[in-house]
Amino acid sequence: MLDKLVGLAMLVAATFVFLYYTIWTLLMPFVDSDHPLQNVFPPREWAIRIPVVLIILGATVIGTFLSMVMIKSNRKKAAKAKAAAKKKA
Amino acid sequence: MTRAQQTISIALLVSSLYLSLYLELIPLPTLIQTAIVPVLPFWALVSFGAWVLFRLGWGMLTFHDTPEAYKELMEEVKIAQADLRAKGVNVD
Repeated sequence: MLDKLVGLAMLVAATFVFLYYTIWTLLMPFVDSDHPLQNVFPPREWAIRIPVVLIILGATVIGTFLSMVMIKSNRKKAAKAKAAAKKKA
Repeated sequence: MTRAQQTISIALLVSSLYLSLYLELIPLPTLIQTAIVPVLPFWALVSFGAWVLFRLGWGMLTFHDTPEAYKELMEEVKIAQADLRAKGVNVD
């Protein structure tokens, strides 16, 4: 039951994000600056800043995860090599 | 034609089309040139993210769980792990 709710939430979030961002970037330039619809959207520089920040954040998270996995596996390999060398000697 | 070649050729096609718009090789109204064209790659990226999220959510919503198959699979995994451990493979 919970995963169906999560799936529905993701659907709604994806639709909302797509519609909001599309209207923000592709429609608002053609809307007069004193139209009340402008109050629903922040200034347009933010339409660039937010995705850039998210990309950098995502790359950081993925890079951190990758480095942690590599360090762990190297440590395991070194420990194994040490154990094998001890056994030999 | 491999899938990689296909993807690269489509990517090159789309980037050359966008570059022709960005470098003003096609005459466009000023508002579109200054406010819409620079924003198009970000819009494409955000729309792609929204599409992927939609597909994931849809999959989660319409997934049909099979508990008996799950139990059977876990049993098979245990048997395989015991077998490999006996043969000396590290499965932990």
